[in-house]
Amino acid sequence: MKTLCGIALIGLAVAAAAAPRVLAQASGAPKTIAGCPAEPLAFHTCALQKAKTFNPPRLPSGRPNLQGFWRGDALTQAFSVEGVASDDPLIKDPIMPWEAAPPEVIDPADRKIPYQPWAAALGRRGVNFHKYLDPRTSCSTAGIPRLALQDASQIVQPPTDDYVLWHHDDHHAYRVIAIGDRPPVGAAIKTWHGLSRGRWDGNTLVIDTTNLNGYTWIDDSGNFYTDTAHLVERLTMVDANTIDYEVTFEDPKVYTRPWRVAWVLQRVMEPGFELIEEACVEGERSMEDIRQQGGYLYYFGESWRGR
Amino acid sequence: MRHACTSSIAAVILAFVPIAAAAQADVRRTPDGKPNLQGIWQVLNTAAWDIQDHSARLGVPAGQGVVVGGEIPYQPWALAKKQENFASRLTADPETKGYTPGVPRIMYMPYPFQIFQTPGQLNIAFEYARGIRVIHTDGTPHPRGPLNWWVGDSRGRWDGDTLVVDVVHFTGETWFDRAGNFHSEALHLVERYSLEGPDHLRYQVTIEDPKVFTRPWQMSMLFYRRKEPDVRLLDYEPFLLMKEEQAARERGKTAN
Repeated sequence: MKTLCGIALIGLAVAAAAAPRVLAQASGAPKTIAGCPAEPLAFHTCALQKAKTFNPPRLPSGRPNLQGFWRGDALTQAFSVEGVASDDPLIKDPIMPWEAAPPEVIDPADRKIPYQPWAAALGRRGVNFHKYLDPRTSCSTAGIPRLALQDASQIVQPPTDDYVLWHHDDHHAYRVIAIGDRPPVGAAIKTWHGLSRGRWDGNTLVIDTTNLNGYTWIDDSGNFYTDTAHLVERLTMVDANTIDYEVTFEDPKVYTRPWRVAWVLQRVMEPGFELIEEACVEGERSMEDIRQQGGYLYYFGESWRGR
Repeated sequence: MRHACTSSIAAVILAFVPIAAAAQADVRRTPDGKPNLQGIWQVLNTAAWDIQDHSARLGVPAGQGVVVGGEIPYQPWALAKKQENFASRLTADPETKGYTPGVPRIMYMPYPFQIFQTPGQLNIAFEYARGIRVIHTDGTPHPRGPLNWWVGDSRGRWDGDTLVVDVVHFTGETWFDRAGNFHSEALHLVERYSLEGPDHLRYQVTIEDPKVFTRPWQMSMLFYRRKEPDVRLLDYEPFLLMKEEQAARERGKTAN
């Protein structure tokens, strides 16, 4: 199900303001981004090629300057990272119609998450989707990497180069990325966004994340990882206003092999743009109604717990 | 050679002025010359329970207040309301609903927070309730109201080595502490952040709310740097922890 969070009025105003942008792009806007095809795999392949010759803007320290406001392109959607076919029945859903979208999975070649059989029955619009309230709807967090598909975000790089802050509009979620060699945190500690360590691989920011609680979904379809997941994100500037975003998922409990998604992040160009408080928890009025009407349970990793 | 120069000046000044002021000249700085407020900080006081002097109560450590002068200048109706809040605090306190505690309360919750500083903006990320404050220091004004934000809108500027932050656009739904001290949506804060040495950050806040108080008043406290070499901001999300308990109860019922 698509998110139906009771958010503050101001959040609704922002959503309404963003809607025309999405519509404009859906109705015949150009299907290239930064000179690359917009389809995620084709974009990723082309973008990494382009990035080889692009010298990104830099901070005084010499590190690439990824700072600013970013959002995912309208072509990429959070319904399913495996894509939504144009004849999918949910596209005609009267309440929450989905939109056709190409898969964001770029590896393996069949563009499907390499689930173990038991896990495939939970994800991919399976048990999770039918039985549980989308954790994003319950004012938790969209989680990694879904946050980077959902609304705008800001990357903050203090000049001390010791941390990167990635602040998302969505439910005022933030991530703290500690740069450099740091001791890992004890595996018994689990958090919603995990604990992230970052390093620079040439001009690419590589973020390594463990200590995840596995309570978030990857998309609206209930695709998931667990508390043993290890995520590696790679952010590479393709031109001054475009970032290629790639995530590798490793979770031996769930998948038969590591797999990857990729999509584009585009710079928000509106002058004077600022992130605005979205008080999901405090404005929440409809969660219990949605749960009761749909018969949904809270997720909190219940479907995979004990595996 | 900024560092050598400031140290020698500090040594000279040290003989004539209070230690706190001298220490300000010797703080770490960001490349643009501003005091570097970055790091993971936390209070070591009992303001989260009660911002005023208070004896121990069951589950509440005794504490010396952080209100300058000790008294909060409530209007008569507001003092009655505060006492009513205190009596019903176990259910009426917005903290018990898992909401964002608002500003300034989130600053002195007994959880760490981390400051990120760039030339045009400071961000404060809180372990408690995944709170985050964006403090704009690029000279932009407050957006036009009325706006009701749980952490308000923060615009800062540097007054010498002190960061001065003006905060408006609040809700009237947050409290100052677990003892029922409260304000309205007309709350206006002026916060002053100044380093007192490398590991102590002085926090002074002037509180103005003509609907509730007869005059502005102040709180003053210290933030202490968390110095454990591997310290990281973790998470404590009260609303979600409550929902997780609810989910466990529902599972229990289904299993029976």
